[in-house]
This record gives sequence, structure tokens and C-alpha cells, in this order.
Amino acid sequence: MATDVGDGHTRTEDGFGAAIGEFRPKRALLGVAGIVAFVAAWWLVSLFQPAYVLPSPPVVVETFYAEAASGEMAAALGQSVRHWLPGTVVGTTLGIAAGVALAWSPLLDGVAAPTVRVLRPVPPLALVGFAVAWFGINHAGAAFIIAVGAFWINFYAAYGGVEGVSSDLLDVARSLGVQGDLELVRSVVLPAALPDVTTGVRTGIGRCWMLVVAAEIFGVPGIGRRILRASNNLQVDVVITYILVLSLLFLLVDVAFRAVQRRVLAWR
Amino acid sequence: MAVDDADLEGDRAHVVVDGVSKHYSSAQEPVRALEDVSFAVDPGEFVCIVGPSGCGKTTLFRIIAGLESATDGTASLDGEPVDGPGPELGVVFQEYLLFPWRTVAGNVGFGLEKQDLTATARDERVRRLLSLVGLEGFGDSYPKELSGGMKQRVAIARALAVDPELLLMDEPFGAVDAQTREMLQDELLEVWHETGKTILFVTHDVEEAITLADRIVVMDSEPGRVREVVDVDLERPRSRSDDGFGRYYERVLEHIRA
Repeated sequence: MATDVGDGHTRTEDGFGAAIGEFRPKRALLGVAGIVAFVAAWWLVSLFQPAYVLPSPPVVVETFYAEAASGEMAAALGQSVRHWLPGTVVGTTLGIAAGVALAWSPLLDGVAAPTVRVLRPVPPLALVGFAVAWFGINHAGAAFIIAVGAFWINFYAAYGGVEGVSSDLLDVARSLGVQGDLELVRSVVLPAALPDVTTGVRTGIGRCWMLVVAAEIFGVPGIGRRILRASNNLQVDVVITYILVLSLLFLLVDVAFRAVQRRVLAWR
Repeated sequence: MAVDDADLEGDRAHVVVDGVSKHYSSAQEPVRALEDVSFAVDPGEFVCIVGPSGCGKTTLFRIIAGLESATDGTASLDGEPVDGPGPELGVVFQEYLLFPWRTVAGNVGFGLEKQDLTATARDERVRRLLSLVGLEGFGDSYPKELSGGMKQRVAIARALAVDPELLLMDEPFGAVDAQTREMLQDELLEVWHETGKTILFVTHDVEEAITLADRIVVMDSEPGRVREVVDVDLERPRSRSDDGFGRYYERVLEHIRA
């Protein structure tokens, strides 16, 4: 996912990697200019539209403050985190474990491959019925939907990472006295696959924020629910407010995770 | 480079390769990579295997290292048939194959972690090995920060850490520049002198073989087999300009060409 662009900087596909990695004034300036242009365009268009189609930026800012001041925002956020966090953690952990196990063991892979192919294309949203039936309309149900999303991203990232581990490196480890699958996986396979695994985790974290809206579609409270309710009432300013909240949350978590990733992968 | 640590001197093996053959079945016709290869290496001896590419020398290396099995015949270490890789068989590859996520000291200490050693004893051994290969002060560096020659020094120290009975090297200096290669050859002889290890060294470079080896196993290709074993009776350190060097060079080359 990360590509070396040749000048020593690593740029990720969303373009944030380089911007956050080290502060480059020229690039930051371009970014600010882009945001200003976007907001200006939005404002311009909003002048010719009724508020229920597209509210102007100041209106949204006002709503943002109102929602924040009333405590609505904090409440919705608190609710969403209660399924986002467990869903992400559980899905990520299981996805990595399954990906490593299947990529490492031809036996497991042979047994599971057809099942994986059947289950893989199922969109998490299609599992709402199961979420309700198995867990109910609660945080556990929403966490289930989110976990499914996190699972597949991490499954494939870990699978690819483990597949890419050089067999020569494993030979070296064996010749240095490493015995048994578990020990090989722990001391060579996992650290060698870590760059791919962490890229998967990072992608998964972002995907899970998107899934928060889908996971709350059947009535679990949170940011997504708030967006859906506001949509039904044509409160577009509220919708945009919470979209902004989601974006900011994603950015915050992503920056934090990237900092961790850079530390862990300092050897690269 | 010179370290007078008696305890770096360790086990050394008597290696016997007996009738080793390796055949692959391919779509067209079966490939006879190795055909009835036999030779022995005395404890503490430095033996080079030379031959043109395709003579199966890397396959032979992998069989002796326990990384591949022979179709026929056995490689044995002190009378015990090799049936898999392990700490008694130290391997060094051309591509270094360091663990990039570990520091230099972490790489050298890798095999020691699987052994019953206190952390202090482990650190001490790593320190001595790093000084043996001339890398004092680089313990905390990561492989990406090292040159090719330094990486190979780390790989050698890592292989020696677990005190293997046999050090197997597959074209270890094939990826570094000529100057570095000469330096590494000198250093390897020094390490060999310090540790007294049995060394089996695969190369396609005849000069390198004559510079290093007590004996040279010259191999032939298609099928890969031993053409000749040449004893090199030259004083060390050897140099290309030595009287006898050229004669050995001609002789080995003749066997390869013939």
C-alpha cells in the first residue's frame, strides 16, 4: 500500500502519510489552499440552494457548536465508540490470526479456501439480520458488523504478508536452532510480515469508522444513528456536522496509528 | 580483528558426503542435478567447492545443510546423517539474509536466544563475535544502515554464534565489490584461524578458491559430479602473484574446461 516514490519519502495512497510524516511547508500550504477552495465552492453553491439541500459553511459551523455545546455530540460519540472499539479490536485480532494461520498452513488453507471464497463477498451490511438475531439491537450487534469489516481487511493483509516471507529467511532461522511452527511464526514470520499487517490494521481502522454508520442502521444509538435521523428530518446541517465528526475522528486515530506504525517499523 | 578468546574455538566436524545424487523430474526429461557425489572434509579443514553454474553446487550445499534431501546417498556429520537444518550446521548465503527488523546485535544473538544462556552471557558472546568480525560499535545499527560487506560480516558472526560444527557458505562474497571481497576473504581466514571451524565454501570463482582452500572440490555440470579434488599446497597468506598460484589456477581451470 505504501509506495516508495524514490526521493526517500514513503507516500501512502491517501496522501496523508507524507504530510504527517514530516512537516513540509510547501505541501501543507497546497493542502490549505485546497481546503479553502473547497469551502469557497461549497459556500458559493449554497447561496443558490435552500438550506435543506445544502446549508452554507457558517450554518454548519453554528450547528457544530450547538451540537457540541448541548452534549449531543459527546453522547453520540460515546455510544459509537462502544461498538467501534470492540468491533475493530476483535475483528482485527481474529482477521490477523486467521490470515497468518491460513497462509502458514497449507492444510488449513486447503480446508478453508472454498469457504473463504463464499463468505468474502458478503457485505457487512447484509449481515444486519444476523446481528439482530444473534446479538440484538445493541452495541454487541453493531460491533459484530464492524468486526466483520475489520476481519476481511486484516485477513487478506496478514495472509499476503505471511505469503511474502522469504523461505530462505526461514531456512536461516531453522539452521540457527528454531524448531516448530509456533516458534518459527513467532520469531520470523510475524516480524517479517509486520509491515503488511500494520498496513492492514490501518486500513481496517478507517473502514470501521465508515461501517459505524451502517452498523447503526438498525437502531443502535451513535453518530451513524444521528446522521440517519437527521437525514430523515432533512437537517442537512446536522448531517454534515456528524460527517465532519467522523472525518476528524478518523484523522485523529489515523495520525496516532501512523505514529505507532513508524515507531514499530523503524527498522525499515 | 584479532581476539584471543579461547572459548570462540569450538566444535568442529568431520564431514562425509557419500554417493549423493539429486534428480528432479521435469516436463521434458529428468534433471540429474547431482550424480554420485562423494568426498570427505577433515575436522578443521577449509574446503572449497568450485564449478560452473548449473553444476549443482548450490544443491549440494543445501543437501549438506539439511535444507534439501538427496534422492540417493547421504551427507553425514561426525557419522550422523544430516536429516534437517540445525545449530550444528551454520549457513551463510550470498544474499546475507539478515533479519531486517533486528539490530546487528539482535541478529548475532538470534540463535543464542534458543539456548539456555543468561542474558549477560549472551550479550558477552555477541560482543566478542562482533569484535571477531570487526563490527565493534555497530551492535545497535539496523541492517539497512550497513554496507554489503558489513552485512555479510554480521551473517558470519550470526552463524558462528551457536557454535556450529560446520560452517557452510554459498558464494558468500559474490554480491560485494572486488575490494571488499578481498578484505572479507582475509577476514574469513582470520576467523577460521581463531575458531578452527570446519568450513565448506561454495564459489564459482577459481581465484577465490585457491586463495582460501586447503582442498578444492572441482565439479562438473550435467550431471553435477566431482571431477577432481585438488590439494592446495601453498603457504598462507596467499597472493595471486605467488609462484604456485598461477599453476593451481591453470590446473583447476583445466579440470573445469575439460
